[in-house]
Amino acid sequence: MRKKVQYFLQESWLLLVATILFGAVLATLDAAWRPRIEQNEIDKFNRLAGAMLTDAVRFDMAAEGLPVTGDKGRIIATDIKKGLDAGGNPVGWAFIAEGPGFADRIRLVVAVDASFERLRGFGVLFSNETPGFGDKMKESEFRDQFVGVPATGLELSKTGDRSVIDNNIVAITGATVTSEAVVDVLNRFMARVRDQMKEKGLI
Amino acid sequence: MANASGVELSKTFTAGLWQENPVLRLLLGMCPTLAVTAAVKPALTMGFSVIFVLVCSNIVVSLMRNLLKSHLRILMFTLTIATFVTIADLFLKAYLPEMSETLGPYIPLIIVNCIIICRAEACASQNGLVVSIVDAVGMGLGFTITLCVLAGVRELLATGMFAGHAIMPRAFVPWAAMGLPVGAFITLGLILALVNQITKKQA
Repeated sequence: MRKKVQYFLQESWLLLVATILFGAVLATLDAAWRPRIEQNEIDKFNRLAGAMLTDAVRFDMAAEGLPVTGDKGRIIATDIKKGLDAGGNPVGWAFIAEGPGFADRIRLVVAVDASFERLRGFGVLFSNETPGFGDKMKESEFRDQFVGVPATGLELSKTGDRSVIDNNIVAITGATVTSEAVVDVLNRFMARVRDQMKEKGLI
Repeated sequence: MANASGVELSKTFTAGLWQENPVLRLLLGMCPTLAVTAAVKPALTMGFSVIFVLVCSNIVVSLMRNLLKSHLRILMFTLTIATFVTIADLFLKAYLPEMSETLGPYIPLIIVNCIIICRAEACASQNGLVVSIVDAVGMGLGFTITLCVLAGVRELLATGMFAGHAIMPRAFVPWAAMGLPVGAFITLGLILALVNQITKKQA
């Protein structure tokens, strides 16, 4: 047994030492840069949410880790933030919603009004959709038709008038899968988040 | 090449730029070459990340080359490369968050980039520190320049811009396909054909 241990150490001491050393370097750098990385994520969320809830001057955590059943039954936890104006009055809610897109997962920042009746819009936190097609989900021509629509039961159609603000969302030409993904993600998250917020007495 | 002369170092450096250019002559690192060359800025960031990982991993492998057990060397190379790739990934997330999102999984995927493990095996594990660093810088620059040329052509034709600056006349009609994977394959194929033609003439 002792010989086996000795042989193991003889053969692998460099690997063990390197692992400990590299691990320590990574742990140190992660500890040093993690606050900055987290702040970048918060800043991006606030920037996107602030563009939709224009009266909000800050976003406070209202509920942490609300579970939402995503695609393939996967449970996704999302934090709900309350947008407050300069006087501390609530102007709306914002949270992250995600689901499968055409090329990769899409992550959206969703903003709704204070009573959770109307959608104030969505911003794209992450997407890797096809340039020139699916990535048009980031453009105002597609996104603007979500501003002010009821926060429930959105439906997708291939044709229609985007200037009419109702549940009917007109898909991006040549990117129906991406358009469907956005509508599915919004419908799923808005329904589950609203139900849980009602249960918690937040709305 | 323990005490490499200036001429030898110069040859080692220029090999990566042309005779042994990792992309154009060795056809290594094809995944990032095709995936992140839709625009110049991500291509440049990828190039600098690869130079950082290549130089650091070559330094570490060269320093420990006499301690390496032959059957554990690939494991040691991978561990070393993974460490520096993680550092590059964390750095981008902390200081260039938007670029980190644009490059997505392709920064972590540098771990499996054949150029880096190839240089660790073919050069750093058999040569001294100076030669290993010069080799890494030459190979990394060769990779970066090729990526930027490819990205420059694609971005120009797909958007009429170069590194985000509009330079084509107003009459120019953007060729959206050049920003898609098909554009990457066509551009790379044409550049490889050109390089082969030049090489034939030189031979």
